[in-house]
Amino acid sequence: MSRFERELSESLKRKEPPAGFANKVIARAHATDKRSGWGWSWQWAAAAALVMVIVGGGVFSIREQRRQAENEQKKEQLMAALRITGSKLRFVEERLAAIRERTINLRMEQE
Amino acid sequence: MTKADFESVVREHQGMVYSIACNFFHNAALAEETAQDVFLQLYEKRLSVEVGSHCVAWLRRSTVHRCIDTLRRSSFRNEIQVDLLPEVPVDMPETDPFLQERLRRLVASLPETPRAVLVLRFGEDMDAEEIGRTLQMPVRTVWSHLQRATALMREKAARYLKEKEDEPVRTRT
Repeated sequence: MSRFERELSESLKRKEPPAGFANKVIARAHATDKRSGWGWSWQWAAAAALVMVIVGGGVFSIREQRRQAENEQKKEQLMAALRITGSKLRFVEERLAAIRERTINLRMEQE
Repeated sequence: MTKADFESVVREHQGMVYSIACNFFHNAALAEETAQDVFLQLYEKRLSVEVGSHCVAWLRRSTVHRCIDTLRRSSFRNEIQVDLLPEVPVDMPETDPFLQERLRRLVASLPETPRAVLVLRFGEDMDAEEIGRTLQMPVRTVWSHLQRATALMREKAARYLKEKEDEPVRTRT
């Protein structure tokens, strides 16, 4: 190594960083850890909320469908009951009309 | 690399990382900022970096690349064209305290690649092969940068010393 190179090596020799440099770096690294942890907790909370909304919406939708099906079924039952009642009433009316006609005929025969 | 490993790496190699950046920029504030960024980058990638020689090589490579990136982003560029300067033979006289400061300033004024080569060669005492691996360039290119940058430094240093020799004469006249 020439003298010039020795001078160059001497001028570029190791320099110590300012006091507290390592502690500052470590503190900054831990700060990024906390930030990323906070970010993760927010992401998890958002994901959980989304899942809850989807599940809640699904449950509500299923209940609504069931309620509508039950209503339809009740409506069908009511209609069937009304149809049966109507036919029975018609039958009774016809019977009554027949009895009335027979009664009138008997009276006329007696007279 | 665990968090405890990271802390010991910071304490052990802070001088190396800071020195490379400081010799590169000749600016303490910029060197500190760059060195902090390098260690924070190491912390982010600590799971993929092994403790030991791999980590030292990673730190050197990252520091040099970050220095070059910072220099490219910055608005000022205090460079000297190495190719344009002739090689001048120099007889080195006794050194003075100002010569080394002059040399540091000259290193910091070189273009980025020869500057990085000189900093690693004379600051970190790395050989051409190690520098080639760190800067990802052929050994022949490293030698070429070293020779041209050293020639430039010799010429500049000689000019400075000649001016100093002439100084008393000028003051007398």
